[in-house]
Amino acid sequence: MTSPASAMFAALGLIAPIAVKLTHLQALVIFALVISVAFGFLGRRQPKERVKYILWTLLLFLLVGVGIGWAMYPFSR
Amino acid sequence: MAEETTVQEPLSRPNDTKREMLALVVGAAGWLVPGLGHALLKMWGRALICFLTVGVLVWVGAGMRGNLFTSRGNDAFDSLGYIADLGTGGFYWVAKSLETNGPDVSRADGDYGTRFLATAGVFNLLAALHAYEAARGRKA
Repeated sequence: MTSPASAMFAALGLIAPIAVKLTHLQALVIFALVISVAFGFLGRRQPKERVKYILWTLLLFLLVGVGIGWAMYPFSR
Repeated sequence: MAEETTVQEPLSRPNDTKREMLALVVGAAGWLVPGLGHALLKMWGRALICFLTVGVLVWVGAGMRGNLFTSRGNDAFDSLGYIADLGTGGFYWVAKSLETNGPDVSRADGDYGTRFLATAGVFNLLAALHAYEAARGRKA
């Protein structure tokens, strides 16, 4: 069921529905990048500290994500 | 000394109450419209990042046909998902309007989309709490 707010957004053409097709790795990278940048801005004040934090968080997100993926590989079949 | 204490306390209490009320308004605004809480505190960079982060996560999550939970959940996980999705504030209805074909979690895309939407909500709650703490004068 469409809510009045949803109908309003659709009627105004403010937000266009999109179909997103991503591979597992692409989804992981987008997620890691967006969250790392957000955490960097919320958690640190100085630009230099932010950049360091963003890069470090991004690296850890990717490493842990890919690592867990490989750890599950033996049980996937 | 005792007189000084009795004179100072009534002066500080209304200010504290006012500040607490302002902080609550800032927190609520930050929840309703991602980034608005920080914008009210003139933290423009953080406001923009919060808005964009929640916006991108909702847009991609809905585009991947993730499950946007409703209040009519079947179990505890559905209820938790609903709470997480509600965390996006006004963007909950944006996600609804984007998902014209409904969710599809039969493929990995939809599953990822569900996580994107839930993360957007939880992140927005965190950002609103951050704005609330900043408005209270805590280091942020």
